[in-house]
Order: sequence, then structure tokens, then C-alpha cells
Amino acid sequence: MSKILSKDTRWFLSIYSILLLAYPREFRQEYGSQMVLLLLDCQRDARTAPARTRIWLRTLIDLVRTAPREHLEKIRKDNTFMRNLRTDLFAIGGCVLIILAALLLLNYGRSHQVSSILVFGFALDAIVFTGVLGNLIVFLLVKLTNLRPLRIAFWTFLIVSLVPALALTLIAIAVDPKFNAPNVLIGYVVSFFFWYGLHRLWANKLKPVEPA
Amino acid sequence: MKVPTRRPEEFLPLTPAMFHILLALADKERHGYHIMREVDERTEGNVKLGPGTLYGSIKRMMADGLIEELEERPDPELDDERRRYYRLTDFGFRVATAEAQRLEQMVRSARAKKLLPRAKSS
Repeated sequence: MSKILSKDTRWFLSIYSILLLAYPREFRQEYGSQMVLLLLDCQRDARTAPARTRIWLRTLIDLVRTAPREHLEKIRKDNTFMRNLRTDLFAIGGCVLIILAALLLLNYGRSHQVSSILVFGFALDAIVFTGVLGNLIVFLLVKLTNLRPLRIAFWTFLIVSLVPALALTLIAIAVDPKFNAPNVLIGYVVSFFFWYGLHRLWANKLKPVEPA
Repeated sequence: MKVPTRRPEEFLPLTPAMFHILLALADKERHGYHIMREVDERTEGNVKLGPGTLYGSIKRMMADGLIEELEERPDPELDDERRRYYRLTDFGFRVATAEAQRLEQMVRSARAKKLLPRAKSS
């Protein structure tokens, strides 16, 4: 079939297939191939270049008009937007508070040179770093993919903890022999369990309660 | 098939796209491009349904039980097997009739107000 299509038409159909990403996934999966097929029929029947151009323009305008409508309808239908927004704001607020508390404790420990909380300081360093980076990644992945949130949290915090811990240890030991590698490693291990544990708690708390 | 729980009047007024699709399916089952062509020809090119409008309307009408997808294509020998055919349900027919009656009433009102010439008696 594609052999009888002009290069322009094939190009436009490819572009249109990509532009279909503007529609919600369910709609795209259900009707995406039909929409491309429909456009293929239109293109095949259009004999002149101006007629084909008119179809392209009309189709693009139609896409701009209808894609937001499908998204709005999906939001209305799911009725999850506000519920998700509340949960997201609650989670973001919680993370910010924990990070702020960690920063304050860190600042206090450093300014007062409390030797007893030296390891604690390394843990706080790691908690702040992995908290900011890891939670941002987790948030984005949960919103943009269909993967299980707890699994995302596990792998994200594992990577975000492991990579800087190893990098810091390897690089810092080479540069500064007095570098306290064990404390850094302990700090990142604590940080991993802290953030992953927190996400696990949230996940259990957000689980729907089974009716008795 | 979804069993409609609402009365036909609750769907009125229909969007122009939905009414045109129901009209296109009133006499026979058609696939998407066929519906688009029928609407284009019947309205002498005044109404052109884009892919998003067409399939967005089809999705809503299927959800409301106004139309349904055929399990078998009318003529599989002559046609692209990827095509999906749709037909009007009994409920869809009643909704289309109710909308046509509503529009007829509006046209009658427009005639009474002399916005339209009087209909020729047959």
C-alpha cells in the first residue's frame, strides 16, 4: 500500500502518527490506527496537491481542537485530578519539610561541632541530596509512566544513593586520603532506607481499604 | 452492548457532528471514512469531519449506546480488514429521531417568524 503513496503523503502520515501522542493514551490505542487509516483514505482520494494540503491543514486544526477536549473528558471521567493533586501536594509538602528539618539539623551539628553526630551529619547530607533528586525523579516517573510507584521509588533511590556514594568514595579517596569513606557510605545507606521506607509507608497508607 | 438507561430527550441537543454521524448511519452501516464521505457529500462540502472529531464523537456515542461496532465486516472480501464498521442501535435511532423532531420544531418556529419561506405543500 505504501508503495503507491507519494513521499509527501508518507511523510505526513508519519508526522501525524507522532502527533497522535497529543491524545490520551486510551483514546490513541482505541482509535489511533483508525485515524491514520482515515487520513490515508483522504490522501488517496485527493487528486491535486492543493487538495492534499487542505486535508493536512484541516487535520492539524482538528487535532489542536479535539486533543484538549479528549484530555478534559478523561479528567472529568476519572475524577482523579483533584484527588491526585491533593495527594501530590501532601507528598511534596512532606518531602520539603523533611529536607528542611535535615538541613537545620545539619547546620546545627556543623556550627556546634558536635562530634557525636558526625555520622548523623553524613546521613543528613545524603538525605538532603537523595531527597531532592530522588523525589523529583520518582514524582516525574510516577506521573509519566504506568510503572508501579513503589518499584519506581525502590530503583530510583537505590541508584540515586548508590551512584553518588560510590563516586564520592572512589574520587574523594584518590584526592584526599583522609576522606571518611565509611561514614559517607553509611550516610547513603541510611538515606536509601529512610526515603524508600517513607515511600513504602505512603504506599501502604494510600492503598484502598477493602470493604469488610 | 451497553444498555442505555437514559431517555432519548436527555441527549438533546446533539452536537452537529454527532447528528451528522447518526444521519450517515441511519440507512446502513459504515466505516469511518465512509461516514466522513457521506457527511461531506450530503452537506455539499459544508461539513467536514476531521479524524479527531469523528472518532471522538464515535467514542462518546458508543459509550452512550447510540451506535455499536459490527463484529463482522459487511464485505470482508472487498475491504481493508483493519476497518471498523459502525451501525445505529435502536436507541441511537430514537435519539436521532428526537433530534430531528427538535430541529423540525425550530424550523417551524423560524417559518412562523418569517425567517424562512413557507414550506411547499406536497
